[in-house]
Amino acid sequence: MTAPHDTTTAKYWKSPAARAGLREEPPLPGVNRRGFLEAAGFATSLVALGGCQRAPTTIVPALTNDTDNVRPGRARSFATTCGGCAAGCGMLATVRDGRPLKMEGMPEHPLSRGGLCAVGQAQVMELYDQERLRGPLAAGKAATWSEVDARIAAALAKIPASGAVRVVTTSTSSPTLRRAIAAFLKRFPDGRHVEADSVSVSAILDAHAATHGARRLPRYRFDKANVIVSFGADFLGTWISPVEFAAAWKSGRALPHREVVHEHGAEAGGAADASNAHAPAKTGRTDAAMSHHVQFESRMTLTGSNADVRHRLHPGEMGLVLSHLLHRVARLAGESGSPTPLASPSISAAVLDALASRLWENRGKALVVCGANDVPTQTLVNHLSQLLDAYGNTLDVDRPSQQLRGDDRETEALAEELASGKVAALFVADIDLVHDFPGGEAIAKDLSRVPLVVSLATRMDDTSAASRFVCPDEHPLASWGDAEPIAGLFSLRQPMMQPLGNARSAIESFAAWSGSGGTVLSLVRATWKEVAFPRQAKETDFTRFWDRAVHDGFVEVDADIEKLAYRGFDPQYVAAAATGKGVAVVLHPQIAIPSSRHAHNPWLQELPDPITKITWDNCVTLSPRLARELGVADNDVVSLKIGDGVVLELPAFIQPGQHDDVAAIALGYGVRGTDRFARVGPQWLEGRSTVGVNGLVGVNAAPLLRFGGGVVQYVRDNVQIAKTGRRHTLATTQLHDHIEVPANVAPPGSKPRDIVQETTLDEYHQNPAAGAPHAHHAAEGELWPDDHPYNGHRWGMAIDLNACSGCSACLIACQAENNVPVVGRDEVARHREMHWIRIDRYYTGDDDDPAVVHQPMMCQHCANAPCETVCPVLATVHSSEGLNQQVYNRCVGTRYCANNCPYKVRRFNWFDYVHDDALANLALNPDVTVRMRGIMEKCSLCVKRIQEGKIEARRLGIPLADGAIRTACQQSCPTNAIVFGDVNDADSAIARAMSDARRYSVLEELNVRPSIGYLRKVRNATREEGDV
Amino acid sequence: MSSPHHEPSSALYPPEPPLIAGHKSLGDVTREICQPLEGRPTRLWWIGFIVAASALLLGVVSVTYQIATGIGVWGLNKTVGWGFDITNFVFWVGIGHAGTLISAVLFLFRQKWRTSVNRAAEAMTLFAVMCAGIFPLIHMGRPWLAYWFAPYPNLRGPLWINFKSPLVWDFFAISTYFLVSALFWYFGLIPDLATIRDRNRRGLRTKICRALSLGWNGSARTWHRYETVYLLLAGLATPLVFSVHTIVSMDFATSVIPGWHTTIFPPYFVAGAIFSGLAMVLTLMLVARKTMRLEHYITARHVDTMCKLMLSMGCVVGLAYGTEFFIAFYSGNPYEQFVFLNRAAGPFAPAYWTMVICNVVIPQVLWLKPVRSNFAAVFVVSIFVNIGMWFERFVIIVTSLHRDYLPSSWATYFPTIIEVATLIGSFGLFFTCFLLFCRFVPVIAMAEVKGVLHAPGHRSDVAQKGEAA
Repeated sequence: MTAPHDTTTAKYWKSPAARAGLREEPPLPGVNRRGFLEAAGFATSLVALGGCQRAPTTIVPALTNDTDNVRPGRARSFATTCGGCAAGCGMLATVRDGRPLKMEGMPEHPLSRGGLCAVGQAQVMELYDQERLRGPLAAGKAATWSEVDARIAAALAKIPASGAVRVVTTSTSSPTLRRAIAAFLKRFPDGRHVEADSVSVSAILDAHAATHGARRLPRYRFDKANVIVSFGADFLGTWISPVEFAAAWKSGRALPHREVVHEHGAEAGGAADASNAHAPAKTGRTDAAMSHHVQFESRMTLTGSNADVRHRLHPGEMGLVLSHLLHRVARLAGESGSPTPLASPSISAAVLDALASRLWENRGKALVVCGANDVPTQTLVNHLSQLLDAYGNTLDVDRPSQQLRGDDRETEALAEELASGKVAALFVADIDLVHDFPGGEAIAKDLSRVPLVVSLATRMDDTSAASRFVCPDEHPLASWGDAEPIAGLFSLRQPMMQPLGNARSAIESFAAWSGSGGTVLSLVRATWKEVAFPRQAKETDFTRFWDRAVHDGFVEVDADIEKLAYRGFDPQYVAAAATGKGVAVVLHPQIAIPSSRHAHNPWLQELPDPITKITWDNCVTLSPRLARELGVADNDVVSLKIGDGVVLELPAFIQPGQHDDVAAIALGYGVRGTDRFARVGPQWLEGRSTVGVNGLVGVNAAPLLRFGGGVVQYVRDNVQIAKTGRRHTLATTQLHDHIEVPANVAPPGSKPRDIVQETTLDEYHQNPAAGAPHAHHAAEGELWPDDHPYNGHRWGMAIDLNACSGCSACLIACQAENNVPVVGRDEVARHREMHWIRIDRYYTGDDDDPAVVHQPMMCQHCANAPCETVCPVLATVHSSEGLNQQVYNRCVGTRYCANNCPYKVRRFNWFDYVHDDALANLALNPDVTVRMRGIMEKCSLCVKRIQEGKIEARRLGIPLADGAIRTACQQSCPTNAIVFGDVNDADSAIARAMSDARRYSVLEELNVRPSIGYLRKVRNATREEGDV
Repeated sequence: MSSPHHEPSSALYPPEPPLIAGHKSLGDVTREICQPLEGRPTRLWWIGFIVAASALLLGVVSVTYQIATGIGVWGLNKTVGWGFDITNFVFWVGIGHAGTLISAVLFLFRQKWRTSVNRAAEAMTLFAVMCAGIFPLIHMGRPWLAYWFAPYPNLRGPLWINFKSPLVWDFFAISTYFLVSALFWYFGLIPDLATIRDRNRRGLRTKICRALSLGWNGSARTWHRYETVYLLLAGLATPLVFSVHTIVSMDFATSVIPGWHTTIFPPYFVAGAIFSGLAMVLTLMLVARKTMRLEHYITARHVDTMCKLMLSMGCVVGLAYGTEFFIAFYSGNPYEQFVFLNRAAGPFAPAYWTMVICNVVIPQVLWLKPVRSNFAAVFVVSIFVNIGMWFERFVIIVTSLHRDYLPSSWATYFPTIIEVATLIGSFGLFFTCFLLFCRFVPVIAMAEVKGVLHAPGHRSDVAQKGEAA
């Protein structure tokens, strides 16, 4: 810029033509401002274009007929398939300005029905992860694809004819990937595709091979069941397909809308008082159908916490109890029962008798599921299911699940082959053999002797570290793909953005290595044309079929699968109780971190476990009694030793409801690379690291796994537990777990606080308002005139505690929507987590074996808000539509509002939280401010969605439709427990919910008049059974 | 001032000991009180000043660190939003109560013994209110926006402060109190400043005193005007003694938090404030008496009277503690009942019992005359009361917050070293100011003491007036 424009002679252009003339001026020496900007712009575009290695492809937005894909600043939804786990839920990805921001459930999807779990929603963090591998590596060094492909091809060419080639993947239902792998393996005489799951249900498939003649995982239809009996299957939390199951489970328990009829008053809704305690219901059936859910389990799972009746059961006794149940049902069915007398189990005969007859009465509508990875136990379940006529009704084996098909015997065989040096080439995709499998350390050693090891992992895990080549798979949000989670349900995955780096879809990699080549899009299209298209008759033209699939995200076609035949009733009863086994250790997946693959996700690491409320750690949970016997308190580091010498050291956590002879540990922790989180939180004088003494987040418990009986054993007997004397603070978000206050400070004669209200189904039938405490509010109205007339909209929300399972998907939805920061373990331990919504989990009843309730809690948007009056600078104010609004840039941070909030839902920015990762910042929602330190924040009821909905309605000139605005938490809820809308609209779902007889407000007696209503929980059990 | 020569001497009442011992002449008073100002500071003063200034420096460093880093360097959390910060605030405001009480209320009640202590007590008030004022500032998440508390004309449209918020009331109450106390202190100082001015003819001190004494000439008219103003200011300041802590108590009383939301708070807080203020005055008086050789001015009679006042306030505070418990029981409100049981038996029970023992149990020894005349014992009691009153505020704030309505949100609170350093720093500020005050301002109101000097053998009134002029 040596010679700037002479302003006195500068011309101003009027039209592009005139402007062109201006350009033809004699060039000034050097660079002028405009020229500089042009060059800079051109250079930027070049850089940007250069970054786009892959050719652009067209994707089709869902739920709209618009064809222009990108409108600056406007978010669009695209249908795709979730890649978070093997379940294959339908997903809508919100994309804005070319980047996916928010993952939501797809309401039309037959599997997930609109819900999306925490893991699925947190994928954006994975996508924008700085440490995700973005290009191939050869011997640890960056390489090009052509180079890597050539070297792999050369290595493959050297494999002798007898050499074993193994492709190991996690269960994949992707037809295209399976075809690509099959095509690749065809070249080798001894080529095999091994599917291995880090949390396996292999025994269910093996049991079906025994009873029905084929390894098959039935599709469980919880929606069709009147009686659900689960033996340790955490189907609402982690088991197979939790979102699908949660939606189905809820649909079998939905209660109709019923209002209270006041004998004298006209006002509907609210808590019932004594005068209407026996008033008949005005609307709805009085015989509301609701499934009865019984859970037998050794540790407290999310599913158990939602059961109507829950029994603690030692894992070693599961077979015996199932035998008893089968014996009883067999006698009812006229079959012969157990030939030998069965040992008496810890569950009383009366309970088993009642359960057996209840199952028998509901045959055809009964579902028995079992989470044990043990073939004899699962075989008993199959026989029981057959007697109960479950196959074809509550169990679908003709359109079975293909979500998990791992075969533990093959995994075990692979480990042996690796040990014997038989494997010539090993390809590992989407699974960490070294970290997650029995004998992982030995596998790591064996890998070094395999001539060719290729990892397709998306990050440097333990297996890729031991691999010669790493050929990273592209992230599911950035590449084409597909899934067939249920036979005949084809679900499509489309890229939401241009790839961030140079990763390559596994489908494309296998195609390249098999020599056929092709882009992933062409391969997926080809599969769909050859496999899916011929199995339907609706569309005759493939292009139309394909376009519809891309638009809808899924297509239902005929299942191409043979029918199964029952091989006859011949159960091998378990006659004796497991005795003298000491304390058993149960290894289980965690809801937030269902597998080690998700350990790099800070949102999931900071998601409190729905039961323990622990973040950033795994631990060994012990029952209160076992802890007392061992002299162990929370946070004491204990060592666990099993006969063969494996020693693990983990902090202990006392878990009410766990069996007294069980210690439980979550898998998926202690993952390589999680040392990155050491400084994830604010760094200050007393700040402590987020990682443990091993430098990682949590401890890997997989070394305790063993192969046995053809399966991976997740239960090990005879564990010795000893205190080490060290302590490790577990960061929990809830310190007091019980609904009752501690006995030493409880006022004499006081009752538990009626924060969470519940009732039983029988009482509810008699009185829809059953469970309400006696009315203690004056009906006379207010002394003061109403400050807030709410003439237009009045936003409100209702949360059905009968539907909410506590799965915590809403937390991540809220975090993603509202740019809630991650604060790290130390800050959580200091009770400074930032989540705008939390799930309060309370225990009721017995300390050792309590009942559990989950209550989502967020800003209640009170009409008489205590926070509003105390703010000195009016930084929190009431809107004319009933929202309690926080004005960030007005807030000076006195924290008075938070102190004065009876619900303690306000969150203060104690520090400037880390936002220096430019890539991770791409996940920030541009519609929501990133808050600076020193200010208060809290749930806004997704005010930006409200505004967006209102503006859109105004633009179209139509009234705002009920349901047009959905808050982030509501959208993702797998059980549709959350209803949001305009209370002033009498026909709206929220108005109906608010007038429901089950509706109550938390802390109603304070007269803060919350806009959030709760619908009372109803247990389908007697008070004695259910600990109500 | 009124005439000092009409002490009641009925046979029913034994003659009271003189207020000023040692048969001082008016000249002695001037000389002895001005001596510390004009001489070199003692070694004891230097030691005290270095300790206090170091503590202040520690406080400055920790507050700077906190403002640079964020409120997170304190031990607060989502449940306990106020801890040491507001505890210290209420504590220091309370300390700031005795000064005005002694100078204004006792003045109106013609309590002549106040003359020996009122100057120091008023200075203490000012410094305590300064210490108090710092905490609401630094406890804000964004203290650089503190001026938003003031209802000044601005360009932000309708944005204004929230007159419903007790924090705004606080802002007005504290600033008014500080202004009136400062004025009161300054007006009382004018005759003494004139005395200092007249003792030296040269030097910076004389120049400053000349300017600040506003042309005082000791004439009858000057004295008349002065006493009118002083009486008026006393009348103005008296309601403030009650209003400030009443309003501070409303920070809590107007909330919905059990343990805060009680109507007893205004009188309870005022009594507590006077109690803690008296204790602090006693502590400082006893130290000053010893270190500055003011034994003749601060006599056993002063200490005795202060002890009686403190004892009565301690009993009022004890009654308030009992009443809170009774009302919680009587209300039938389970949340309220829980909060009080939780105070006495919950995780913060040690803090609660420290409060009860220090504020209610220990002061009972002051019923005994031998204790009241034993200065060491009185000093120990006053220290305990200071500690107890700090814990009272801590108990009210933290135990009410840490376990309120929803058990899911119950949390604990433990201060960080930064918070402890900030508390130490506030003491540093207080004592630094107080030591500087001892060094540069007459710690005893010479003009007023001379008014109550009535021991035989002193020189004539003419001499006193001549000196003052």
